[in-house]
Amino acid sequence: MIEMLETSLFALLTLGVLTGGLMILLARRPATHAMGFFIVLLCVAGLFALLHQSFLFFAQVLVSVGGVVIVTLIMILTVNLRETDLPPEPHKTRWLIGAAVVIAPLSLLLYRTLTTLGDAFPPVSDAFGGTRSLGTLLFHDGVLPLEILSVLLLTAMVGAIIIGKKEQSYDRES
Amino acid sequence: MTVNPDAYFAVATLLFSLGILGVISRRNLLVIYLSIELMLNAVNLILATFSRLHPDEGGTMIALFMIGVIAAEASLFLAVIVQIYRKKHTLDSDAFTELAQGKKL
Repeated sequence: MIEMLETSLFALLTLGVLTGGLMILLARRPATHAMGFFIVLLCVAGLFALLHQSFLFFAQVLVSVGGVVIVTLIMILTVNLRETDLPPEPHKTRWLIGAAVVIAPLSLLLYRTLTTLGDAFPPVSDAFGGTRSLGTLLFHDGVLPLEILSVLLLTAMVGAIIIGKKEQSYDRES
Repeated sequence: MTVNPDAYFAVATLLFSLGILGVISRRNLLVIYLSIELMLNAVNLILATFSRLHPDEGGTMIALFMIGVIAAEASLFLAVIVQIYRKKHTLDSDAFTELAQGKKL
């Protein structure tokens, strides 16, 4: 029963990832892109949960789904695109098919390389991927990367504010 | 566990390929940004699968850091898109070729 539930959940999430990805790839309107992006991130979070990574699941839902998607939506609403601002792509289908033919062997190579790494998931304890064990690991092995990441986030925040300012120096000159 | 690692790797590979496809074949800046995000998420999924495959939480830790890096990258990329749109009033990536052509900005 549990196995069947897991398999069907996995199939559903895979379907969601594919649908969202194709929505981003094929759609023309920015709102559809954002919706596809939302679906992909949510389904990846679900796959994390199936992989017994509870903390990663929460981080993905809070940061990516709750933060990045919202910021993307706000950006789309702020910019308020008109149909004429979108690039004309008359040969979109041809480009997509050509690129798919080029990429297919690379993807196959990637898949074959990845699948040599293991056949079955070993059983793990309930604490695996939880807050306690991950926090212990972060404070023992990952302190410096964590601090560097916090500085990076601060820098990105300041940079985004400065880049997004209404008036730039080149506006005044020209 | 009935779903074996190969299935997870297949999903991640598919997601990564969709990302590359978007970067190569579309001209919309927003689609290019979202495709980069798709690729980063595929890598995250691969890291989580590794971490589960060899029960070791190092992979989870790196994936956690990557979520932070994705957030930083997203904020900067979106700010740049907004600024670029204000200057040119288009999202066409082919409109931004001044550096390649050596014209004065």
